[in-house]
Amino acid sequence: MASETKLSHTAAMILQAIDTGCVYGFSIMEMTGLPSGTVYPAMRRLERDELISSRWERQSIADAEQRPARKYYKLTAAGRVTLEASRKRYPLLERMIPSPEGRSV
Amino acid sequence: MRPALGLALGGMNRGILRCASLLVPHSERADWRREWTAELWHIRLACQPRGGSSWRAERAATAFCLGAFQDALCVRGIRRQNWEIAPAQHGSAGECLFWLACLLALSCIVACVLPGVYVENHPSHYQINPGLVLLQRDLFNDSSAATITGQQFLDLKASRQRSIDGLAFYRMTRESLSPGFHAKPKWAVAHASFNLFALLGVPESFAGLSSETSGGLPPVVLSDELWKREFGGSPKIIGGIVRIGRTAARVVGVLPRGSWRLPGGADAWLLQPNTEISRSAVGYVVAHTTRVGQAEMYDDRLHINAFVTDDPDADLWGVSFNERTRGPWTIFRFAVLLAFLALPAITSVSLGESCFSSQRPSLMRNLYRWIFLSAKIALLLSITYFASLDFSYWNATGYSALSEYSQLASSFLICLFGMRWILLDQRERCPVCLRRVSHPAQVGQASRTFLAWNGTELMCASGHTLLHVPGLPTSWFGTQRWMYLDTSWKFLFAGTGVG
Repeated sequence: MASETKLSHTAAMILQAIDTGCVYGFSIMEMTGLPSGTVYPAMRRLERDELISSRWERQSIADAEQRPARKYYKLTAAGRVTLEASRKRYPLLERMIPSPEGRSV
Repeated sequence: MRPALGLALGGMNRGILRCASLLVPHSERADWRREWTAELWHIRLACQPRGGSSWRAERAATAFCLGAFQDALCVRGIRRQNWEIAPAQHGSAGECLFWLACLLALSCIVACVLPGVYVENHPSHYQINPGLVLLQRDLFNDSSAATITGQQFLDLKASRQRSIDGLAFYRMTRESLSPGFHAKPKWAVAHASFNLFALLGVPESFAGLSSETSGGLPPVVLSDELWKREFGGSPKIIGGIVRIGRTAARVVGVLPRGSWRLPGGADAWLLQPNTEISRSAVGYVVAHTTRVGQAEMYDDRLHINAFVTDDPDADLWGVSFNERTRGPWTIFRFAVLLAFLALPAITSVSLGESCFSSQRPSLMRNLYRWIFLSAKIALLLSITYFASLDFSYWNATGYSALSEYSQLASSFLICLFGMRWILLDQRERCPVCLRRVSHPAQVGQASRTFLAWNGTELMCASGHTLLHVPGLPTSWFGTQRWMYLDTSWKFLFAGTGVG
C-alpha cells in the first residue's frame, strides 16, 4: 500500500494503538475507547490494505495458561509508513495514545 | 447476580456470535468465530468480579457481541469486493467448464427423475427377439395401422411360408376391466394369441402362458400403468380374476413400463387360443423371419407373396421393428451428425488462431487450448443427450413416435447452437491463459476502412494479448488476429498477475 494512503481518524487511532503494543482486539478497544463494532471492521479493512497483519497465537501457549488462543495483530512496513503520515495529519494522535517511549519520557 | 442467570446470559452471547457468524462467508467462518469467542472469554474474565458475575460484566460482554454483526457484514463486504475484482476467476476456462458441468448435472438429475427417460436408457426393457417383423397389407403406408383380418392370419398360419416361420396375432379393443361386476372405465385391451409374448421374448416369464397355466381361464397381462391406477399397484391382484368386458380372465403378471413397443397402445393383453380369434376383426400380425426372409430384407422391409382367402392378389410386407426398438442413442448420434454437417451454415468453423506478431503460445499452451475445447464439446454432447431426453419425455412415460421426433429435433438444435457458442467462445479466449477477452473498444471509423484499420479491439485482462476483430473484412484483414503483448505492456496490468 502506498505511503500516500489517507486514513480516517479512527483507523489511525487503531494503527497507533497497535503500534503502542495493543496487539489484540479487546486491548485496542480498551485503549481507544471504541466499541467492538467499530474496531473489528476497521481492523479488517486495515488488514485488507496490508497495513496490519494477523497471526494466531500458538495453541500450546494458550493451553499452558488455560485460556483460548488469541489472534494477534501487528503493523506491516507499509502500515508503519502510513502511521507516520497519519501522525503528521493528526497531531493529537500521539497525545491520545502515547507510544511506550513517549510515556516513559 | 444468580449463577443460573449468568449462565443464561453467557449462552445468549454465544448465540449472538453464532447468528452473526452466519453472515460471514463459509470459508472464513470458523476462524472468525474462533477469534470472537476467544475475545469474549477474555472480556468476561476482565470485567467480572472474582468468583461471580455482575450486570456490568454481562452488559459489556453483550455490547461486545452485538458489534460482531457489523464485523461480519464488513468481512462479507470485503469478500464480495475481492470476488468482483478478482480477475483470475471471471471468464476463466475453469469457470466455463464449471457452469457446463452444472448444466450437465442438472439435466442428469432431471433425467433420473423422469420415468420415460429411465425406460429409454434401459434397452433391456424393450428389446424384443431379433428377426421379427410386423405384417402389413401393401395398401397401407402407415406402419401403425391394423391391416390384417383374423381370417387372413389363420390362412397364413395354415399355409407354408418360405420367409416367415412364426406368427402371432393381436387386435385392439376398448373394454371395461375390473375385479368385479362394477362399471369401470374402458381400457385398451389387446386380444392376442397365446404365443405373442413367446414370439416377442419380452418378458421371458410370459413365454409359456396358456389356459392350462392359468387354471382354465384365459390369462391376462396388465400394463404397469393400469396395474397402478386401477389396482393401486397391489401385488395381490396377481393370480386374481378380473372381468374384461364379459370375459373372466386370470391376471398372470404385469408388463414392465416401456416394454411394449408394438403398434396399438395396450393397457392389458388378453391371451386366447387361435380358435377364438374373430375372423372378421382387423388386427396386427407379428412374424419371425427365416434365414431366407432375412436375406430378402431390404431397407427393413420384406416382401411376402402369400395367398389369403379374401384377397388372393394382396401383397404383404413385413416391416422390421428396428425403428421402434433402436433406443435414444441412435437418434442422438444421427442428430449430432446432422448438427455437425449444418454447423458451417450458421458460423465459421475457424478458431481464429492466426496472429500478426512473431510470438506464439508454446506447444503446452496449445495443448491446453485443445484439451479445453475437447472438454467443452464432450460436456455439450452429454448435455445434449440428457437435455433432449428430458425435453422429449417430460410428459411421456414411454416410447412414442412424437417423443422420438422431439428428441431428434431437440438434440439437433441444442447441439447445433451449442457448437456455435463453443466456437464463438473459443475464438474470444486468450491463447495464453484461456480467459475471455474483455473491454471491447471500437477503433477507427467505418468510413475510413480503406485508409486505416477499423474494427473492435479486445483485451486479455491478464495482459497477455489483444484481439483485433475487423469491422468490415477486407482482403488484407479478413479474420480476427491476436497480438501478443511483450513485457513493455506490463506496467498497464500491474496487480493482475501478468506473466
